[in-house]
Amino acid sequence: MSKPEHGRVRRDILDTVVPSETPEGILLELRPAGLTPRYYAFIVDWIIRLAVIDAVATVTGFMGGIGVAFWIVLLFVLEWFYPVFFELSARAATPGKRIFGLKVVMDNGLPITAAASMTRNLLRVADFLPFGFGFGTLSMLFRHDNKRLGDIAAATLVVHHRRADRRNVSAEWPPLMPLRPLAPEDQAALVALAVRAPTLTPERLDELAALAAVTSGDEGQSGPEVTARVLGVAQWVLGRR
Amino acid sequence: MMTPLRFEQLYQPEWTELDTLLDALSQPRKANTLTEAPSGARAGALYRRACEHLALARARSYPTYMIDRLDDLTSRGHQLIYQQREFGVERLRRLVSIDFPSAVRSHGSYVAAAAGLFLLPAIVIGLIVFRQPDMILSVVAPDNVSDFEAMYSPSAESIGRTRDAGTDWTMFGYYIRNNVSVAFQCFAGGLFAGLGTLFFLVYNGAFSGSLAGYLTAQGLSSTFYAFIATHSAFELTAIVIAGGAGLRIGHALVSPGRLTRRQSLVKASREAMVLVYGVTCMLLIAAALEAFWSSASWIGPGAKYGVAAVCWISVFGYFVLQGRHAD
Repeated sequence: MSKPEHGRVRRDILDTVVPSETPEGILLELRPAGLTPRYYAFIVDWIIRLAVIDAVATVTGFMGGIGVAFWIVLLFVLEWFYPVFFELSARAATPGKRIFGLKVVMDNGLPITAAASMTRNLLRVADFLPFGFGFGTLSMLFRHDNKRLGDIAAATLVVHHRRADRRNVSAEWPPLMPLRPLAPEDQAALVALAVRAPTLTPERLDELAALAAVTSGDEGQSGPEVTARVLGVAQWVLGRR
Repeated sequence: MMTPLRFEQLYQPEWTELDTLLDALSQPRKANTLTEAPSGARAGALYRRACEHLALARARSYPTYMIDRLDDLTSRGHQLIYQQREFGVERLRRLVSIDFPSAVRSHGSYVAAAAGLFLLPAIVIGLIVFRQPDMILSVVAPDNVSDFEAMYSPSAESIGRTRDAGTDWTMFGYYIRNNVSVAFQCFAGGLFAGLGTLFFLVYNGAFSGSLAGYLTAQGLSSTFYAFIATHSAFELTAIVIAGGAGLRIGHALVSPGRLTRRQSLVKASREAMVLVYGVTCMLLIAAALEAFWSSASWIGPGAKYGVAAVCWISVFGYFVLQGRHAD
């Protein structure tokens, strides 16, 4: 099993997690959303706006001057303030972003402020240039945290709204004391394997468990019995006796 | 020995309590399940405990579900405890009475530069077109020129619009959308080292100047100037201020001083945003005036110039004097 330092380096290269330290000294992990989900979210929002504008146009068409005025103002409001309105709501996301599990936060993890939301949405014009969100796309592709120009100026971040992983470890394997003391990262790997066990095929589970067979004294062997004993060690590590 | 399960058993009640409290505190108006009012102090204490637990759980590599649960609890607590609120009537009142005029004064040099970038081409191109009316074709398309001539002819029903443009209300909507969008573009153009702002200011200046020069040369000056005099007090100043905000952002990028370029940009946008709020309000006033007052052909030029003078003086008075005590 790899040393933690080694793991840390690889993780930094592969992951796009943006850490944000709170005054209490813990790191909150923000997961910036990439180009693809944000692009889809934009398309959804665009369709919603088109639908609203079309629906209102059919009604206001019968109302003469005031109707047209209302429609033009609505056009203007939807154009510039649709994202601001939804970003300042409790969900901090436009309907499109909500569908794809995204939300907008300040880059220190706090809820977005009104000024920041205005800034990032007014500067959308600059992201749009020279055509089809050219500069915004380039900025998102080149930056580690996937910010577009408006996000840079507003100090905001579009993140994946994480649902906490609530999978617990099932207690179906009898606990087994490990043959020798285990290092913390070895313990973590065993417990992670036990959490994932129900989602793996039995064959793959046996293969993975065989790698850790040394912990239950079955070094070099594999099979369902070995797997049960390895997962039993995981139970022991968790604290079941 | 402390095992993950023992740890969970010990602190589970605290986490559940924090969970309920955070839910109750984030939706204060909705009926919550607690019998008494949710306590902020208790939530704060439990939040700090949860932070400790998260740090311990991470350091000891406890199972993912436990770390994730604590991560979720602490980030919700963090959001609730450290959030900033900046809405409300009080904030708006402060913006109008102090923040906006004071921000215009503190951005004085940028606003002055924007005014120069707008007025200089306006005057130069205006004079050229006045001497040689044909020159307008190098700035404005021929169709538009004939439209403009019709719009400001003294026989027009409503001044400043083509015959088929629709009612006052329609034009009100149109002016809002058009003018505020121009102002927002002037601001956003600052992100390209100020060059976008520069372009929008010079282009709009040249366009307005050539129009004024041409209409004056055609002898339509009486209707044209009476038309623009009033609302331009709000509209032109607002566009120039939006340009000033854009130049501020551009300058922050080109010359960040002791900050990093990014910090400098974030700071400049936060401060310039106040200008954009104010500009939006001014353009709403301008759109109302332009649609309902300036275009009315039954109001004589004398009355329009009188009101225009009052508007210009109050706008300048507002920027020079309002909110000075707070500077």
